[in-house]
Amino acid sequence: MRNFLQAASDKISRRTLLRGAGVAMALPWLETIPVWGAVSGAVGSVTDAAAMPKRFAALFLACGVNQNHWWAKGAGEKMELGKSLEPMAPFKSKINFVRGLFNKAATGVGIHPGQTGNLLSGVPLQKGAELRGGITMDQVLANHLGEETVQPSLVLGCEQPVTGYHETNFSMAYSSHISWQSSTSPVPMEVYPSLAFDSLFENHGNMRNRSILDRVQEQAKALAGEVSSGDRGRLDEYLTSVREVEKRIDKMRPELDKAKERAADQGKPLIAMKRPDDGLPEDIREHMKLMCDVIALAFQTDKTRVATLLLCRDISGLFYPFLDVRTAHHPASHDDLSDSYERITRYYVSQLAYLCGRLEAMPEGEGTVLDNSCLMFVSNMTSGSKHDNSKLPVLMAGGLGGTLETGRVLDYTNEGDDKRKMCSMYLSIMDRMGVKLDRFGDATTRLAGF
Amino acid sequence: MCASGCASSFWWPSAPGKSLFAVVAWLCACATGNARGADAADFEKRYAESVRPLLETYCSACHGKEQEAANKLDLSLYASIDDVGKAHARWQKAIKRLEAKEMPPDDAAAQPSEEERRAIIDFLKAFFAEQAKKNAGDPGPVVARRLNNAEYDYTIRDLTGVDIRPAQEFPVDPANEAGFDNSGESLAMSGALVKKYLQAARQVSEYVVFKPEGFCFAPHPVVTDTDRDKYCVKRIVDFYKRQPTNYADYFQAAWRYKNREGLGKPGATLDDFAAAGRVSPKYLQLMWATLTETKDEVGPIAQLQVMWNDLPAAEGSKIAADGREPEVVRGHCEKMRDYVVRLREKLEWKFANLVLKPIGPGSQPFVLWKDRQFATHRMTLNRSALQVAGETELAAADEKPDAEAEAGADDDDAAKKKMTLKKPVADPELTIPADPAGRARYEDAFERFCKVFPDAFYISERGRIFLDRPKDKQDKGRLLNAGFHSMMGYFRDDEPLCELMLDDAGQRELDAMWEELDFITLAPIRQHTGFIWYERAESHTIRGSEFDQFRSEDKDITSEAKIKQFAEVYLAQARKNAPEDGNAAEAIKAVEDFFDSVNAKLRWLEQAKLASEPSHIKSLLEFAQRDYRRPLSDAERDDLVAFYRQLKDKDGLSHEDAMRDTVASVLMSPHFCYRLDLEVAGPRQKALGDYGLASRLSYFIWSSMPDAELLECARKGELHKPEVMTAQARRMLRDERARGLAVEFLGNWLDFRRFEEHNAVDRERFPAFNNELRQAMFEEPIQFFLNMVRDGRPVLDLLYADYTFVNPALAKHYGMTGVTGAADHWQRVDDAGQYERGGLLPMAVFLTKNAPGLRTSPVKRGYWVVRRLLGEEIPPPPPNVPVLPTDEAQLGDLTLRETLARHREIKSCAACHDRFDSMGLVFEGYGPIGERRDKDLGGKPVDANATFPGGSEGEGLAGLRQYIKQHREADFLDNLCRKLLSYGLSRTLVASDEPLVEAMRKRLAQDDYRFNCVVESIVTSPQFLMKRDEEKLTSSDNFHSGGSLRSTPATR
Repeated sequence: MRNFLQAASDKISRRTLLRGAGVAMALPWLETIPVWGAVSGAVGSVTDAAAMPKRFAALFLACGVNQNHWWAKGAGEKMELGKSLEPMAPFKSKINFVRGLFNKAATGVGIHPGQTGNLLSGVPLQKGAELRGGITMDQVLANHLGEETVQPSLVLGCEQPVTGYHETNFSMAYSSHISWQSSTSPVPMEVYPSLAFDSLFENHGNMRNRSILDRVQEQAKALAGEVSSGDRGRLDEYLTSVREVEKRIDKMRPELDKAKERAADQGKPLIAMKRPDDGLPEDIREHMKLMCDVIALAFQTDKTRVATLLLCRDISGLFYPFLDVRTAHHPASHDDLSDSYERITRYYVSQLAYLCGRLEAMPEGEGTVLDNSCLMFVSNMTSGSKHDNSKLPVLMAGGLGGTLETGRVLDYTNEGDDKRKMCSMYLSIMDRMGVKLDRFGDATTRLAGF
Repeated sequence: MCASGCASSFWWPSAPGKSLFAVVAWLCACATGNARGADAADFEKRYAESVRPLLETYCSACHGKEQEAANKLDLSLYASIDDVGKAHARWQKAIKRLEAKEMPPDDAAAQPSEEERRAIIDFLKAFFAEQAKKNAGDPGPVVARRLNNAEYDYTIRDLTGVDIRPAQEFPVDPANEAGFDNSGESLAMSGALVKKYLQAARQVSEYVVFKPEGFCFAPHPVVTDTDRDKYCVKRIVDFYKRQPTNYADYFQAAWRYKNREGLGKPGATLDDFAAAGRVSPKYLQLMWATLTETKDEVGPIAQLQVMWNDLPAAEGSKIAADGREPEVVRGHCEKMRDYVVRLREKLEWKFANLVLKPIGPGSQPFVLWKDRQFATHRMTLNRSALQVAGETELAAADEKPDAEAEAGADDDDAAKKKMTLKKPVADPELTIPADPAGRARYEDAFERFCKVFPDAFYISERGRIFLDRPKDKQDKGRLLNAGFHSMMGYFRDDEPLCELMLDDAGQRELDAMWEELDFITLAPIRQHTGFIWYERAESHTIRGSEFDQFRSEDKDITSEAKIKQFAEVYLAQARKNAPEDGNAAEAIKAVEDFFDSVNAKLRWLEQAKLASEPSHIKSLLEFAQRDYRRPLSDAERDDLVAFYRQLKDKDGLSHEDAMRDTVASVLMSPHFCYRLDLEVAGPRQKALGDYGLASRLSYFIWSSMPDAELLECARKGELHKPEVMTAQARRMLRDERARGLAVEFLGNWLDFRRFEEHNAVDRERFPAFNNELRQAMFEEPIQFFLNMVRDGRPVLDLLYADYTFVNPALAKHYGMTGVTGAADHWQRVDDAGQYERGGLLPMAVFLTKNAPGLRTSPVKRGYWVVRRLLGEEIPPPPPNVPVLPTDEAQLGDLTLRETLARHREIKSCAACHDRFDSMGLVFEGYGPIGERRDKDLGGKPVDANATFPGGSEGEGLAGLRQYIKQHREADFLDNLCRKLLSYGLSRTLVASDEPLVEAMRKRLAQDDYRFNCVVESIVTSPQFLMKRDEEKLTSSDNFHSGGSLRSTPATR
């Protein structure tokens, strides 16, 4: 027991230290130390893009965009961007503007929740008291990739879920969650940046299993002293097996440990994000920024490879005095071609740009963490006034370790319905992350030209 | 093993003749009771001098070094008699082979003389008998073993009350030599499995639901808000649906009470009839009083009383004799009910929405106000629905009713539209006189009626109530919803149910569930944050910058201070626009009440959450105690609580997360995952403690953990007493958990444990074989076995019974008529012989399992009979045996029977096939899925005749039964005893178990072959009650009989 207590308090102090360091430095970021591979000039640096982890994140904006200003033309650095997309200008060569995709199951079922809860799954949703939909692609990825990281996925949001009934008789749970772990349950969403931050550290996620395994070991050891030699053999077998699992958990850390060493060599702290304060930032701008920071930190330090961020909920009640808009998000979206809603759209795109900037500033191998990621910015409809989701606005950033060509405008508007499925694109993305499925949602084929 | 030639070897120095003489003489000495002559040293001497030379002469050429690995006897391993003693099982097989003259094989270079053969056999038997006697009752080698997958699942089920079955994700368990997967011999542990255990423990911990008092397990995971909602709502709605609210049932029960003498139950009380009619006794009393006690002169109750008095009486003894009542009674009662329901609908209340701009009627304060109006008026009269003769303004007969006011989804629209109440149509049932006295009399009568017959007992679903839509157009499926738009929130409306129908216990149960709903789902918090969101995003009530400081996501949004501030700002806005009339005052009051009630609920929740934590720790300790299947020591309790605190206080987990992780750690504990047989005391053979016995007993009979009664016996220290063990075993065999024994013991013994996954049937050729039929086939032997156990039927029924059990699917397959109902309806069919069924032998599960798809397999079927059922050892087939076509239709001119006959012409094949082909050929009248047939798939008529080993002949099922009865019944009984003992002791049998097997056989014969008696023999045996003290056991004692572990699944 003593060992266990000792071990536990070690962990605590480690985390406290990190927090303390951040606070003491009072600097939001100092991320110049790559975790994977090595910085140029470091001794024995080997860089291999294929060995870098690939990450996926979805950023969700509800109720559509201002379509007049949602366009892109050209390719690469010469790409022209609509007004709402201007924040992405620095990343032109690293983005793909995708037009014309849709989710069949989300159409013709009534507005809002039925258009949202299956955005990442593509399966039909059930109305009434019983929730039924499908597992979403981010959670499929998490199930396949999550064992190697502290958290299988980060599911974050800037607005609390609601679960009443919409007039369409769909549960508002569908409006509140874009990540579903099964056909009946959403993934609980973290709204507090401080708790999202904490979830990346020891004693959380997969690391929580350590405490349990430590305790089991203590018990088995104590017990082995009380039993016959034959029984002891069995308990030893159990102990060995438990240790084996524990070692696998520990394996999540060698790369991180290496990075820590490098950081120590250079006299810099590795993780230099200040732990967000408890509670909620008063300003939604600060809130969203912190959530992006947590994702960036998690991706950089490989604490997770999958994240979704619900910037606002469907039928959102967020409001934007700083954009000089007096109505809340949802009513504002009913006037979606207005200047107000353009400002709102642009503001949301700037969140994507912010996250891109963070990831771009993190060297990894010969590129950056952004190069090894795929960020997908998406809404549940194109037009908030018409509740039209026949062609969804999609903006991607990052090249998934060179497997995804970027700097393109992809237009599927004139393709047949079966050649412009969101789920086809999800299959294509999952392929590139090493998760090869025969089918997903309503798709059995990959997205052509992606 | 038989195919290879046996070259003889003459290198052994001792001449066979001399050896024979010596061993025979020695055996005589044993037989004459010269005990001293038969000690260990003597056996050693005889073995070395006499028996071993014989074995060398006739056997060593084939049974040489390293044959053991190939599952053959390796004589080089048995230099001394001690070595032989350690390999009891292997040598038992050798004895059988020698006795059956399978060994040496016919093509061996030299055969022992009859005398020599006998001498070897007799020596070995004498040796093992002596061994057995010396060590009789040795508990045998039972090491700590993890729960196997089935035990894990059953134990989780009984521990949590939820059949979660996490072990479905585990790899299949390997079986031991006896074919069971419940022994330490075969149950290994690995890192991969620990990982599965960890996932399983986590999975189970997600089912924990935390209540104001303690925790329990929900039927599904309850980690997400939506799952918590589902759990709490479903429980309440299920409770509502269970309530007897059909008035006809009450009228009928009252009629029966009235006619109790005519029905032959003069002494029965009203409560008795309530119980028999499954209605609420409390409400029946009220109904009885209403119908009989005071006579109403006017109004609906008077009308009901007339109808009541019109009910026919039970007519004397004729009806009483068969307990039936006139059929018209039910119809009459239903008419009375319909009258009440129809009239009550006409008296329903209507309430207009409150409006106070900009607060719309869909805002929480106003919706809840309206909910409350309905809820508090369910048992009162809506006077405005009555029609005063000559006064009420009525619609003309041809006038169309006004269109129902239907508001759009948007609140503003709803507020704009004024509800236009249509003029009522003249209705005699609602008409009351205009004169004040008469009017009062009628109104009182209606009031009484409404009090007894509420307009609803409870409301289980509610659409958006502020839209005032007609019932059939309201939103469906919004269970317990308060009637909001988009916001979550619940409203309780069941006062009539509580007041009129539920007894105190029922009310407490319902109260608790509603309290738990708030507690578990955090409904008050979520409803409040939803309110703020809605007022901003949907109703636009809060647009001013004075509201900017209130956000749903703020952590302190539910604090008392924040709520007061919010109420102030909100009310200020309401008052600003309020017109100076009574309606506005009521609306403002509704808003004030709303904030007060929200705050009160939130404060209660805060307190309740804090207050609940110690009770969760208490639950945790109770859970751990059940999980360990024994009381916890003080140190263990402290340690557990310390672990929880560690997680919570130092690791920073929330209370619930820390609890869940602690629960997971308890499920990962070796005290749970392993069966340890701790608590032993005394020298050499140690008595198992009573708690250890409780687990042994429960895992034997239930494949699961002990229940409370068993643990209570252990706590009292009584379980080791034979009479208590016996009584408990009997009780447990009658319990439905004995299904564990049926599935795990019978299923593994008879090799159908995995039949639910059987996929060898070509479903296109056999469309009758679907999942439902497969499941039914799997279930038949289980139902049969359980019935045998429960009814104390003889085990010989397994062979000879003329009955079986079928459900509709299986009955159809068997051509039995008259079996209807659901798939889980099983009924006994007697005279099953007319369908060629009855007992285990012709069960479709075995016939299908042992057929390779498009043909039958007399080989597999026969092999199953002799090996599985009769326990005969048959060596595995040699490599390179010819393969039969997979389809009967491809056999050409020969029948399967003829093809097999050819195979048996090869001598080495015949050695085995002669022993079982016949027992499969008798089943040729059953096709590949066990269906009856006259022709095989090649179109040839089937022939079910067979010549059994020993030369007797017979046909079909009857022939096989007769053969078994005459020649093999003892084999069957012996095998049953051995298999059950091996299963019950969780180990392979050893020599010292022989006397117990013998005793079991005798007990069967003496006790009408009842299954339960052999169970009782086992659970009162020293083997069962003791644990071997391995440190003190010497090598010459009774060690584990060895035998390599098979890494095959328990059944294949």
